[in-house]
Amino acid sequence: MAELDDRLVRCFSSVFPTLTGDEIRAGDVTSLINVDSLAGVTLVAVIDEEFGVEIDLEGLLELGTFQAIQQHLRRQSRSSVLPNEQETK
Amino acid sequence: MNLIEALEILKQAVPEEEQPLGVFLACGFTPLHLQTFLAAHLRKCLPKQRVELKTGLFGDLAGSLERLHASGCDILVVVIEWQDLDPRLGIRSLGGWRTADLPDIVKSADQGVARLEQALRRLSASVTICVCMPTLPLPPLFSTPIQRAGDYELRLRQLVASFAASISSESSIRVLNTRRLDELSPPHSRRDVRSELMTGFPYRLPHASAVAELLAVLIQNPTPKKGLITDLDDTLWAGILGEVGVVGVSWDLDRHTHMHGLYQQFLGSLASAGVLIAVASKNDRALVEKAFERKDLILSKENVYPFEVHWSRKSESVERILKAWNIGPEAVVFIDDSPMEAAEVKAAFPEMECIVFPTNDYQAIWDLLKRMRDLFGKNVISEEDSIRLKSIRGAGALRESCNVIGSSLDDFLQSADASIRFTFGKPAADSRTLELINKTNQFNLNGRRMNESVCFKYVKEPKAFLLTATYEDKFGPLGKIAVLMGRADGRKLVIDTWVMSCRAFSRRIEHHCLKYLFEKFPADEIVFDYEATVRNGPLQEFFAQLLGVPPEIGLRLSRSRFFERTPRLFHRVEEVGCG
Repeated sequence: MAELDDRLVRCFSSVFPTLTGDEIRAGDVTSLINVDSLAGVTLVAVIDEEFGVEIDLEGLLELGTFQAIQQHLRRQSRSSVLPNEQETK
Repeated sequence: MNLIEALEILKQAVPEEEQPLGVFLACGFTPLHLQTFLAAHLRKCLPKQRVELKTGLFGDLAGSLERLHASGCDILVVVIEWQDLDPRLGIRSLGGWRTADLPDIVKSADQGVARLEQALRRLSASVTICVCMPTLPLPPLFSTPIQRAGDYELRLRQLVASFAASISSESSIRVLNTRRLDELSPPHSRRDVRSELMTGFPYRLPHASAVAELLAVLIQNPTPKKGLITDLDDTLWAGILGEVGVVGVSWDLDRHTHMHGLYQQFLGSLASAGVLIAVASKNDRALVEKAFERKDLILSKENVYPFEVHWSRKSESVERILKAWNIGPEAVVFIDDSPMEAAEVKAAFPEMECIVFPTNDYQAIWDLLKRMRDLFGKNVISEEDSIRLKSIRGAGALRESCNVIGSSLDDFLQSADASIRFTFGKPAADSRTLELINKTNQFNLNGRRMNESVCFKYVKEPKAFLLTATYEDKFGPLGKIAVLMGRADGRKLVIDTWVMSCRAFSRRIEHHCLKYLFEKFPADEIVFDYEATVRNGPLQEFFAQLLGVPPEIGLRLSRSRFFERTPRLFHRVEEVGCG
């Protein structure tokens, strides 16, 4: 699941380019998005595009942290193989 | 391009330029990811240009355009969707889809179109506009089954088509080709209903990327290729002329060689739009001349100049053709059915587009024609396009007569019966003026390019002027061939832009441009915003002859020096005042 972690960091990094990987992993998503709601909408779109998983902005705020989003995506991957993982198998 | 790639492109360093390109994106919906994609595609299309992309209020597109002042941007991008014509044609409004509402929806859309058209025409006087007509499918509000086009739906589509045709006649409005968009983005997978309702952004990401990509190319407005060099055997026609003879080569349905006829027809179309066509063929010259006498040949021999027909290397032919045309290899496409010949020319001219003609492959030839339409596509066909070939033939005649007679240039120019028409003042820069400024390399004061709105703003300045020169002699017209833009500053003239077509060299037109200015203004000297470029050698040479030393930044030419060093001029002069 290291690959999922890297892909999610890349999603965050594309929207919040000044944050490092460690800052992203440790960061509080709610505070990031509350500061810039446009970034939140973009992050939702990037995650949808990358993982094929629809989370709306409210859902993202409820999940709240990088780790929680990661776990959510992992749960989704159990019910259906994530598109990019399918390609690598 | 996907969204994450677009965001990553935008993270890269931006080139620092004095003059950023200001682009304003106007749309009725929240621009969100379309703005991101447009910025990223523009970065790809214009890697050396700093682009400032701004957006305004959304929700009322016509109102926003009516309030917009074009002075703040160089390019205006307008993305229209059906709901901008009437909100009931979108899905965020619940204004009613009853059958009884349909006539009013069409009527209201008609009024919406009229408002948009009026606003765009007003803005087009001062800024270049790129317009994208509605791309989303109409909502299911019509009473007919989905496979049947109903009256109201057809009327709405007709409204938009007429609107697009009408505004596209404005030279400063570029309408995005929705057929091309259909190829990149299938209509059924464009709308993102969830996103439209949740965030107000109606496009799926791939569609947003496709729209942005085409808009970026419209903004970039790539320079079209100028010339095409074609092979003959198994390219312009089917068959080897030396083997099957003049009657044996073909381009018809009966012999299943019709694709070569289409190719000829396409070259004829290019020639009529001012593209130069030449032949480079390893062949027997006499046989080729006979073949070009055939009445059923679709491409007239009058459209071809020059013919390079012999047994020497193709790259030698290409070199001679480029010299006759006086254009660089980057502006030319070479087509030959032999991969070896194409490779040989490519090795000699790496900047040239060299294409192997896919003989016997119908689909590949069809795709080639489409690709060439893109390479040679022009926004408008100017008067100069129609006389280009004639003037190049004239230049060839000029060179030959100088060589053959061995007379002096003075003698020759005196007998050339030449006239120059100067247009002076504050005219709106037409497409030819902008073409000269943005394409001329060799006789170019500083190599700087200028878009329509920058040009417009420059000429609007109180002391600024624009001078153009149109030339004709007994060998034929050259059309508009020189542009000067400058400012009067007391006893001094400042020239910021000076370009002259390479077709006009050796006629002393450049001398006459300066003579005209010294006679027009009581200036003691002209100061030129000169800068050496890799390719403006001819301009440097001109100044070196006038000054006696190579030109440098801050170049000045005094009145006395000019009249002392300028050679005799024989042109008749006509002056047209403007603005």
